[in-house]
Order: sequence, then structure tokens, then C-alpha cells
Amino acid sequence: MVVYPAVELVRASLGRYSITGLYQGAVGLRNYARLLDQEALPTVVANTVTWVALVVGVTIVISLGLAQLLNAAFPGRRLVRWALIVPWAAALIMTAKLFAWLYDYYFGLINRALVAAGVLRAPVDWLGDDRAVMGAMIAVGVFVSLPFTTYVLLAGLETIPGEVYEAARVDGASGWRAYRGITLPLLRPALLVAAVLNLIYVFNSFPIVWTLNDRNPGFAHDTMITYMYKIAFKSALRDVGLAAALGVVNVALILIAVLAYLKVAWVREEPA
Amino acid sequence: MGSMTSRRLPVLALLCAIAMLASACGGGDGKPAAIKVVIAEYSRDHTRPFWQGLAEQYTKQTGVKVDLQVVDWNSIDQQVSTMIQNNQPPDVLNLNSFSSYAKDGLLYSADEALSPKTREDFLEAFARGGTYRGTLYGFPILASARAFFYNRDLLERAKVEPPRTWDELVAAARKVQALGNGTIGYALPLGPEEAQAEWSIWMWNNGGDWKSGDAWTINSDKNVQTLTFLAALANTHRVTQVNPGKTNRTDGAFQLFKDGKVGMVMGFSPLAAQLDAEGKVRYGVTQMPTNVGTAVTLGVEDYLMAFKKKGNQEAVRQFLDLYYQPDQITRWITAERFLPVTRSGLARMRDNEKLKPYLDALPSARLAPTTDPVWDKVKLDVQQSIGLAVQPGGDPRAVLDRLQKNAVESAR
Repeated sequence: MVVYPAVELVRASLGRYSITGLYQGAVGLRNYARLLDQEALPTVVANTVTWVALVVGVTIVISLGLAQLLNAAFPGRRLVRWALIVPWAAALIMTAKLFAWLYDYYFGLINRALVAAGVLRAPVDWLGDDRAVMGAMIAVGVFVSLPFTTYVLLAGLETIPGEVYEAARVDGASGWRAYRGITLPLLRPALLVAAVLNLIYVFNSFPIVWTLNDRNPGFAHDTMITYMYKIAFKSALRDVGLAAALGVVNVALILIAVLAYLKVAWVREEPA
Repeated sequence: MGSMTSRRLPVLALLCAIAMLASACGGGDGKPAAIKVVIAEYSRDHTRPFWQGLAEQYTKQTGVKVDLQVVDWNSIDQQVSTMIQNNQPPDVLNLNSFSSYAKDGLLYSADEALSPKTREDFLEAFARGGTYRGTLYGFPILASARAFFYNRDLLERAKVEPPRTWDELVAAARKVQALGNGTIGYALPLGPEEAQAEWSIWMWNNGGDWKSGDAWTINSDKNVQTLTFLAALANTHRVTQVNPGKTNRTDGAFQLFKDGKVGMVMGFSPLAAQLDAEGKVRYGVTQMPTNVGTAVTLGVEDYLMAFKKKGNQEAVRQFLDLYYQPDQITRWITAERFLPVTRSGLARMRDNEKLKPYLDALPSARLAPTTDPVWDKVKLDVQQSIGLAVQPGGDPRAVLDRLQKNAVESAR
């Protein structure tokens, strides 16, 4: 199930295809060499790094807080826990379309609210202004990643026995010190899972970037995933062989990133 | 008895499998069990119901089943490409381009796939628009023509008439924009969705063109002048919506016009259908403002193509002939509010009042150079770059030079 598409992808990356998708023979590694010649590549790589690092990083920081909140007993906790699932359960493409409307310069609620509250003096074209697009996309990326991440961390929190905190309190450690000294170290396995899965998931994410960026010509806000799709079907290149080469690079990159992350995390796990 | 059947079953199954293989791979006169028909979705309400009905009628007549796939415009290029990569092309395909498929030798010609009666019914201009190197491969399925839409209320409030020239357009747009309260003079969609259509109309109405003879002329002085004018509309006169280079047609310019925020926009008959259904905006339709005396509009022709596969020729011919029966094609085109592509269709639709402005515009309509396979790439290149020229700091000449260079390289 996993191997077959991978083999097909590699095979496609070694071929030359007409604009219609017709196979026209093998070209060896030429598609990979051509990939490096693409003028948009540095921008797209930089976008991808920004997108992945910020979405994963911000998601984890906010999720740590949310998980802590949901772990405490308060009235209506069950309701809040359920409500948090909504952005996760909704189809990504629908969420993205909803945000495209919320961000809209003329019709969007976000501008209306921010102008009314005096935060902005004039509306912002969130999805058209080059300075705003990436931030707007990252915010949605974080929004949809929060539920899963929070639940992973919440599960982690619930495995920490209460006695540990009691013992700490007896020793005079509480609040922030207890959090740094006990909670974070004991959460490490959950954090690891959350980080690795988010890394893969956010890197591969297509619908948010595609939908929120669909009005912008060129490749100024594409990640490597949406760029791959544009190479194949939506740009003058229209070349599935070249797109497949980028696809292979993408898979390789994410594998390397995950392995490197695990290695670093494991090294830190070793007792000093 | 029971044991006999169970012993024979595998043999029978095997024979069936062999028979099916034979009919699928070989046999000139054996007809296929099914044909795959891929149709683009023009509207939720009309496209699938019509083609479903046609497919059922076809199956009743011929005994050949139809695997009907109605695909939305956003993903049709991808889906068709995947079918061809996997060596499972459709038998009949509806798309907005055809010449690359003809160039790759995948298609039946009109002589091979249509009866003479069907072939002769095509309107001359549309038959020409489906011709690759002297042979008709892209059979016109329907057509549309752009027209100039204006919001009657806004123009009256601004005390201006619908503009006939570019100078009048600028003046009118300024006055409408000056009404304030977020009102937009002219909605200019140069985002990736359909930038080539908007650009074609402006280009032609300044005397420029995509090609001159066989040579591409995308960066001609006329065209640089046109794109500079559009950039000025956005950045100097400031009479367009925000970021016109990053606004799409359907959910951008049309949406703003339907909401009553926009004085003028280039639309087409399906937009009129939506405006009529919503009843919110009082609008008028007229010809394009021009800078050279004669107004030119864009005609768009979409195509049906028949893919060469062993043994499917007769089945495909029967299917296409059924679609092109005057009752069928006219019923569908009327429902979708598009324009006829056949003589018989034109005769039937001529009296339709609602289509009058577009039918009147047809004689002055020009088509994009869809008969040249290079166009299939130029179109995508324009979509991904022309909007950048009208952004603040954009460079119209550099953008057009680049498009020209890429077109010339693709043509080699």
C-alpha cells in the first residue's frame, strides 16, 4: 500500500511527459537537474521552512497551555473538550474556504471586527498583500493543528501521577518550577509524538495554502507541496515528470527531517 | 448436478475473462461494453442531469454502457492527465483546449468520429477554432462571448453613460469610484483563474494581438501600452478593487459586481443568469469600450474530443451524433445559458431575447489562439504572471518580455 505509489512516483520522476500527460520516454535524472534550475525554488524552500517551523512551533506552545487548562477541573470542561475537536473534524478544504471569506478585504468579518475595535485604521487585504499572506495562512494552519496536538499533550499530562506533584510541593517546588522540573520532562514522549506527527502533517498540508493563496499569481507564497501541484498542472511548465521529481525530493526531505529530529531528541533523552 | 456446476464454474469464468480481454484489446467490429465520457461541470443544476439523461438514452439505443464522469473545472486538467499517464484515457472528453491532444496523436479527426451531417452543421468560425494543422479534432461543444456589464443604479448616481472608449471608461470609473462608501469603478480580475480572457479583451481593443501570422507578438509596443494602461487604472487612477492582479473572476470581480459594489465589469451570459436569479442588481449589457474605434470581444469555444482506442470508433461516433442532434445540444446550451455552435442551434436560439447581446457580439468576437498547442502553455504562463504587472511597482514590459520569451521557446 505504501510501496506502490512510491515506486510509481520514482518511476514518473525519471520520465519525460508531454503536456497532456503522455509518456514520451526515459530521461534519467534530468528532471532532478532541471528542478535546481527553477527560479522560484529558493523562495519556495524558504516559504516551506517558515510555514512548517512556525505552524508546528506555535501550535505546540499554544497546545501546552490548552492542555494544561483542559487538565484542570472546571465546570463545563467536557463541553470545551468537545468543542476543541470541531476544527479538527471539519474537512480542511471547508475550513480553508471559510477562512478565505473571513479574511476577505470587502466582505470579511476579520477586517470588520479589527477596524471596529480600533486595532486597524483601514482594512487589510490579508490574502493579497504580500506582507500578510504567509501570516494569514500560518494562523489557519495553527488553528487546525491545535486539537490533535492538544489531545496528544493532554493524554501525556494525564499519565503524570498526582503524587509526583505532591512530593514536589513537600520539597517546596510549585508553580512554574514544578512545571519546568516535572511536567515538561515527563511530557517529553508526548511532545516528541506531537512534534514529529505535526512536522509530517504540516509539511504535506495542501488545502490551506492552496485555497488561501489561489488568487495570487506566481509562486511567491507557495510551499513545496503546492509548488509541486503547480508544476504539474497550473504553470507553463505543466510537466508531471518534473513534479514527480519534486515529489521524491519532498518525501526524502521529510524523512531526513524526522530522522534528524528523532536523533536530537533521543540524544537529549540520554542521562547526562 | 451441484458438483458439476461448481467444477465448471472456473472454466466458464476463465472463458468469459478471455472473451472480455479479446473484445477490449482486439476486434474492429466488436463494440466495447462501455465508453468513458468525461464532462466539465458548467453548473450544478444542469450539467449532470443533461449528460446523465443523454447517457441513458445512448445505452438504450446501442447497448453500450456509459461511464459518465462530471468533473469540476479546478481539477479536470489533473484528472485527465492522470488518466492519460495511466494509459486509461477517456473515450469522449470535454475541455477548453484540444490542440495538445491532437499534437500527441491521441484523437480521432472529425472524418473519423462524426457523421457528415453533424460535421457540416458546425458554424464556420468554431470549426476553424477546433482545427489543428488543417484537420478538425476539437469539436465545438458550446460557446460563450464576453460583454460589458454595468450597474445601472451606480452609473445613474454618478451621472455617466456606459463608456464607448477607454477615455470614457476612465472618466466613468472615476466618477463611480468617487461615490465613495467602498464603491468600485471597474472590477479588473487579473488573478490566475482567467487572466488570459480579461487580458485578451483589453489587448484586442487597443489593436494588439497574441500572434501575427505564425509569430508570437505578446510583447509588442501596443501590448506594453495596454498593460501599462491597466496598471494605471489600478495605481494611478485608483478606480479598481484592491489588488486587481490578485483577484480572481468568479469569487472576486463577479462576486463584487453581484453585491452591487462595482460600476463596471466584463461578464458573460452565465453571470447574467446569476444576476437575474438574485435580482439584487439592476444591470445593463453593452459592447466593450475600445481604444481603436471598433469594439472587439472574446469568444470562447469549448471542445469535445474523441480518443482513439481500439474498437471504440463506432461507439464514440454514435455518442457524439446523439449529442449533436439539434434537440439535444440546444436544450443543454439553452439551460446553461451559453451560445450555439451549430447552424441549426443558431436558428433555434436566435429569437431568445436574453441571449441577444451575446449573439449580437458574436460576429465581432475573436478566439484565443487555441489551435496552436503552444497556447496551452502560454495561457498558464499568463495566468501565473500578468497580474504581477499591475501591482504597485510592477513592470508591464518586463512581464510581457518574459511571456514572449517563454512562448518562443515553447514553440521551438
